[in-house]
Amino acid sequence: MSKADLAAGRVIRMSLLFRVQHFLLTMILLVLAVTGFALMYHDNAVAQAVIRLEGGVQNRGIVHRIAAVLLMANLVYHIFYMLLSREGKSEFRDFLVTRKDVGDFVQAFRYNVGLGSEYPRVGRYGFKEKFQYWGTAIGIVLIACTGFMLWAETFSMRIFPKFVLDLALIIHGYQGLLGFVLLFLWHLYNVHLHPSVFPMNPAWLTGKVTAEWVRQEHPLEYEKLKGEGLL
Amino acid sequence: MRKFVAVAILLGCAALAAPVPGARAAISLEKCTLCHGKPEFRKLLVNGAIRDVFATEDSLKGSVHEKKVCTDCHFDVSEIPHREHPKRVTCTHCHFKGNKEGAPQSDNVLAYFDSAHGKAIAAGNTKAPLCQDCHGDHQILKVKDAGSKVSRFQVAETCGRCHMEIYARYKTSIHGVAVAKGVAEAPSCTGCHGEHRIYARTDPKSTVYPTHVSEQCSKCHASIAIMSKFGIEAEQVATYNESFHGVANKFGSRTVANCSSCHGVHDIRPPDDPLSSVNPRNIPTTCGKCHPGATANFAVGKIHVDAKKKESGIIYWTATFFKYLTIGTMLALIVHIFLDMYGRTRRLRGEQ
Repeated sequence: MSKADLAAGRVIRMSLLFRVQHFLLTMILLVLAVTGFALMYHDNAVAQAVIRLEGGVQNRGIVHRIAAVLLMANLVYHIFYMLLSREGKSEFRDFLVTRKDVGDFVQAFRYNVGLGSEYPRVGRYGFKEKFQYWGTAIGIVLIACTGFMLWAETFSMRIFPKFVLDLALIIHGYQGLLGFVLLFLWHLYNVHLHPSVFPMNPAWLTGKVTAEWVRQEHPLEYEKLKGEGLL
Repeated sequence: MRKFVAVAILLGCAALAAPVPGARAAISLEKCTLCHGKPEFRKLLVNGAIRDVFATEDSLKGSVHEKKVCTDCHFDVSEIPHREHPKRVTCTHCHFKGNKEGAPQSDNVLAYFDSAHGKAIAAGNTKAPLCQDCHGDHQILKVKDAGSKVSRFQVAETCGRCHMEIYARYKTSIHGVAVAKGVAEAPSCTGCHGEHRIYARTDPKSTVYPTHVSEQCSKCHASIAIMSKFGIEAEQVATYNESFHGVANKFGSRTVANCSSCHGVHDIRPPDDPLSSVNPRNIPTTCGKCHPGATANFAVGKIHVDAKKKESGIIYWTATFFKYLTIGTMLALIVHIFLDMYGRTRRLRGEQ
């Protein structure tokens, strides 16, 4: 964090490398969603228009697979970065789910319905961020495995019977839908519609958020930064 | 009085003279049969083959042309004995729109000339069939008549006169066997290929063009009314359309599998027949045509699987689980958004 940033009351929340990973993820997931849902809902007129736009089912499949390979490359890079780099290791520790997160979720729920008197005080990543992160991670691994099975169908069927591939197809499709629902109703709410960030949390573009926002939304992180003398 | 008698005689003569064309025709028929009515009257062709030119008064009996005479069709015979070999009969001589004979006419003639057969004739292929090659020559019967050469039960044999190998394969197929048993619903050649509009399977106009096959099969195989009679599932077409193969086919892929890629074309047999291409033991070979290295695993599990049906077992339950999981997640997240906003408002107001 540069001195100018600190003076302006700004804190870095996403480093450049994370922003690049996040941006790639956004673009790739969009391509996968457009090409994937067009196939899933091929009876729909919009889906048919999309498939024609993509140059037919054959090309749709090629685009979908290219995007899938990029997604997996992004995932592999992310795993290595999280496990091996100094920044990644620290972030990874912050992302580990602890008992406090479960307690925080319950406390937030009680507060929201008017049963509790205090909103949970969370650190760098609260239960909202952790749910988003691990949900996406597990979802991508699952959808990548089933996608690979369907891609190399003859190879898969050397190991699995045909009905396992039918299952893989169903899981792949629904997993995509579920991921999409999560992105729309959880992530987009948290980073766009949530009153504290509306219309947008700028972290994904500039990497920076205001110290005031950290103080309000992530008080433990604020205190930690303060303790380290960074604020 | 004398005048009256004279008029009466004249009228009588006129009355006698009236059926002159008929009388002349009858005479002409008799004249034809003078030679053609002798069983030994045959023509020896240049190549040594014998051509049967036997025809009697009975030749047209019972046919739709019962009341016609030889020269009505063989109209190029103007003298007897004819010096030249009469040309092939042209049915459109009478069967054209607005004809005065009352001969039935449809656009079938035009359709025929656009078809593979008609084009072959136009290109000078003398082996290609004209009307009479399928409908018969002297004994033309209505299609509905079981004895007609183009009736449901006879047409395969008629086509088989030229398409011999295909006929042999078809005859032992499930459709061929069913037709032979007298099952009216089973398709003969024309059931799939059409009648006058027969095109090569590489012609996009063809009913058996790769992207049209599933539609053609679905005419019967998607009909519960027909399929229930034979204990066959009627959802095979729907499940195919939902599959990767079906979707690719719908969007115009000509290489993706259609019904006949797996089930065969003329040699379609029920799956429990060991000779069937979709018999579990033959599935690795059949699938292997497009998926090199296909194993027996291709046959483990239902091929035409419908995730919306309980009979699909684990596939149905997984799909149902995910369906409700997705709906549940959506509802939970929407509820969460409202609760979170509500809580947030309270916090902003400084309430506890």
